[in-house]
Amino acid sequence: MARTRFIEGPAGTGKTTYAIGELRRLLDDGVRPEQILILLPQRSAGWPYEHAFTAPDWPDGAQIDLVTIGGLARRGLEIFWPLVAEKAGFAYPEAEPQFLNVETAQYYMWRFVNEAVQTGVFDSVNITPFRIMTQVLDNLSKAAINGFALDDVTERLVTAWGDRHSSRPPVYHAAQHVAERFRAYCLENNLLDFSLQIDLLVNYLLDEALYREFFQQNYRHLIADNLEEHTPVTRDVIRWAWDDLDSALLLYDTDAGYRVFLGADPGGGLELKARCDEAEAWEQPYNLPPTLGTLAHELGTLLDADRPRSFPAGENPRAGFTLEFCQFYPEMLEWAVNQVAALVQHGVPPGEIVVLAPLLGDSLRFALTTRLHERGIRTVSHRPSRAVRDEPAARAVLTLMALAHPGWNVHPPLLDVANALQQVIEELDPVRAWLLAQIVYRPGRIELGTFDAILLAAQERITYRAGEKYERLRRWLAAYQDEDAGTMPPDHFLSRLFGEVLSQPGFGFHTNLDAGRVVAELVESARRFRQTLYPRAEDVTDWIDISREYYELVQAGLLAGTYVASWQQVEQDAVFLAPAYTFLMRNRRVSYQFWLDIGSNAWWERLEQPLTHPYVLARGYPHDQMWTDEQEYFSRRDTLRRLMVGLVRRCQEHIYIGISNLSEQGFEQRGPLLQTFQQIIQRYDQLEEVP
Amino acid sequence: MLPAGFQFSQSTLQDYVDCPRRFQLRYILRQAWPGVRTEPLQQHERHMDRGVQFHRLVQRHQLGIPVEQLERGLDEELAGWWRAYLGFDLLHSMLGRRYPEITLSADLSGARLLAKYDLLVVSPNQGITIFDWKTSLKPLRREFLLKRLQTHVYPYILARSGGGLLGTEISPKQITFCCWNTAAPSEPVIIQYSQEQYQQDESYLSGLLAALRAEVERGPAVWVLTADEHRCRFCEYRSLCGRGEVAGNFEEMDDFGDEIDPSVADFGLVDVEEIGF
Ligand code: SF4
Repeated sequence: MARTRFIEGPAGTGKTTYAIGELRRLLDDGVRPEQILILLPQRSAGWPYEHAFTAPDWPDGAQIDLVTIGGLARRGLEIFWPLVAEKAGFAYPEAEPQFLNVETAQYYMWRFVNEAVQTGVFDSVNITPFRIMTQVLDNLSKAAINGFALDDVTERLVTAWGDRHSSRPPVYHAAQHVAERFRAYCLENNLLDFSLQIDLLVNYLLDEALYREFFQQNYRHLIADNLEEHTPVTRDVIRWAWDDLDSALLLYDTDAGYRVFLGADPGGGLELKARCDEAEAWEQPYNLPPTLGTLAHELGTLLDADRPRSFPAGENPRAGFTLEFCQFYPEMLEWAVNQVAALVQHGVPPGEIVVLAPLLGDSLRFALTTRLHERGIRTVSHRPSRAVRDEPAARAVLTLMALAHPGWNVHPPLLDVANALQQVIEELDPVRAWLLAQIVYRPGRIELGTFDAILLAAQERITYRAGEKYERLRRWLAAYQDEDAGTMPPDHFLSRLFGEVLSQPGFGFHTNLDAGRVVAELVESARRFRQTLYPRAEDVTDWIDISREYYELVQAGLLAGTYVASWQQVEQDAVFLAPAYTFLMRNRRVSYQFWLDIGSNAWWERLEQPLTHPYVLARGYPHDQMWTDEQEYFSRRDTLRRLMVGLVRRCQEHIYIGISNLSEQGFEQRGPLLQTFQQIIQRYDQLEEVP
Repeated sequence: MLPAGFQFSQSTLQDYVDCPRRFQLRYILRQAWPGVRTEPLQQHERHMDRGVQFHRLVQRHQLGIPVEQLERGLDEELAGWWRAYLGFDLLHSMLGRRYPEITLSADLSGARLLAKYDLLVVSPNQGITIFDWKTSLKPLRREFLLKRLQTHVYPYILARSGGGLLGTEISPKQITFCCWNTAAPSEPVIIQYSQEQYQQDESYLSGLLAALRAEVERGPAVWVLTADEHRCRFCEYRSLCGRGEVAGNFEEMDDFGDEIDPSVADFGLVDVEEIGF
């Protein structure tokens, strides 16, 4: 290979900027853009590249591929499916596969989990069926990205559990059984969840001569960014491609590895260094004030069990951060909001400020958003507080869906019907909507009553204009029942109801752009459900039961759990509110950070996942080793270290740190992060006292 | 404002030409609106799926997957299209390197223009042929194709950025655009590109982009709604614009009703949720 380079260094040292420069050099040297592959750990990490590609001075030519390992697998399978389907044991190799997303995979898995839960095999772990399902899917993914068989997963978990309580190993076996049933079902029905896509890529596609030829012809140059966040299987693919490449540039962020819980393997990523002709270590981040440089160093050292405890002091980091002790939680929030407002008043753009907490629950998000909005400061959060199915517009449409299908025997509560009418009929206020619903709706009755049949006095109170709209809606629903019921998939029903009635002039959703977004998202979930579960629409003679199945899955919280996409626009100039990890994974640098409640143990604790284990289900972990409490302690320290150092290195001016002595529940808080800060403060206070 | 990194394609520009308001809603406001585009929905969807499957079949064939493996399980309609494709001698007898599903881009007056080609065949010393597969219900007339933006954007971008494929500078007259339609497989429409057409296209596209920019700069006002209300019958924003209740019939759509929706056949940045929790 002409040139292979490995560049490692902390965040902010310019590795990605260098990679973009390298891309330009390759293009200037005559390399064709379509021959360059940029491998990313997740899609959002690609934004600096996408941004560069749209610059006016970016060279003309083919598009450069920005792809994740999942994207690579999917693309390969979409094209080369006929070569691998039979070998991999699919029941219908001549038919196209269905690619499952998280939501549809959960739906299939749900059946098997429920059956297992009924037998009582999961009784000894106190978690909901939904969490059992997500953890079984997680084990399937971990098996795929590490190259483990499903047996290996159970064996590792059982061994790691050791001689603790004997009730757990049978649960691991039960989880494996559920995973195997799911896998068998996928093979019988040409379904490809994420784990099976990866499995097929590694075990079949890479062995196909035609795929290798395709890959060789297409990709001659590789850039792998954020190698520390990639999974072991990505490394396998890089190794597989290595000898055919003309150049490779591998970028590694030391101290990162935030996606360990998603299967990232930072240690393994470093192994690729040995394959490269050149290796460089970059140390100096740009634009990091010396005070924050020292703070990152202090945190990195104090939280690292392997490094020596004594180290020279740097520039006093106290000037880089402000610590505020508050007795109560609301007091801390008030302080944070005041500080944000002061910064904005001094001309800091809101987009240069982030407010971070270990977890950002609905109440905290609401409290911050409302307080900041009261000061006229725009905020944007990593997601809205409500899933699509819980948005009022979606609830209204789902209620109407139930009313259109009286045969389902689903009787929405009167209040839901009144809310739906109020949402969709412009003229109705809550009182009139309630009055109308009370009169026309009788749970259990086949049809909604007509407006004409209402007493004149009540008609007047409701108003004739509202009555006219109500009649249009009622007639549409009645015509659907008489003529179209059963002929339409659920997504078509929702689309037509929305387009032909609810968004027509005079109805509540006409020009209601937010309602349009919400219902569009609902329709999309219904379409995915239908296309995945019933791909051969021509074979379906009656859609009523299928629509009902969709409706019930939404009500059970299994579908339409996404968030309206417009919320993801973080580029707008607004204060970003997010959990700390979400901010890190966006890989942005900002001027000011606020860390809330650093006394809380939540900064330190790992998500309770009794059926899986991110460290034990990793290729580098010995398969015959028990997971000890000591390992747990040090892994938490290490995670906290990476988190803290990563945050500090993404700050360009100042960090505001809020401490609430009492938690929201009223308990005193002294978490490890707070203790670490106390150590840093003491050390520099003492140094300053020395004459 | 246009979203950061916005890239223009023949379909986004066609949207602007067809109805500025639609462009504004789709690309500036990114307004999702779940109205029905055309009825019967299932029939339209099935036709679109067929289009995607056919494109994939051809892509697989062009990449060398054996014919026997591709033919298994094709239903009657697809098998018919497939046989017609296998009988398309012009393509199969052509020498040169093949690039199925390739995307090229070029900068024009500070805007990035993008073209996703079904197939490019690069013949040394001869030039590059663009093949575009259509699965329309009706044959396509040459005059109609000449009015569509695709017929101008595709060769223009290739002329600007296809030199790398040819290994030397490319002249517009070395480019041929071939539109092959399952509804009339023995009558492909072949359009020879030229220097003169290239210059006309450049000035037309630059003007279009300038007009669009001016519109963007005017701010948040509602852009002009198309005067051709027939278009609204096949547009999901019909109710928002107050342009009717019921969608038009799929068979009455104009000849480009079968165009592959980029959201269904996006061969660009592919991604899936990495791991589900
Ligand atoms: S409904 Fe008509 S006016 Fe409105 S965006 Fe669509 S095409 Fe344009």
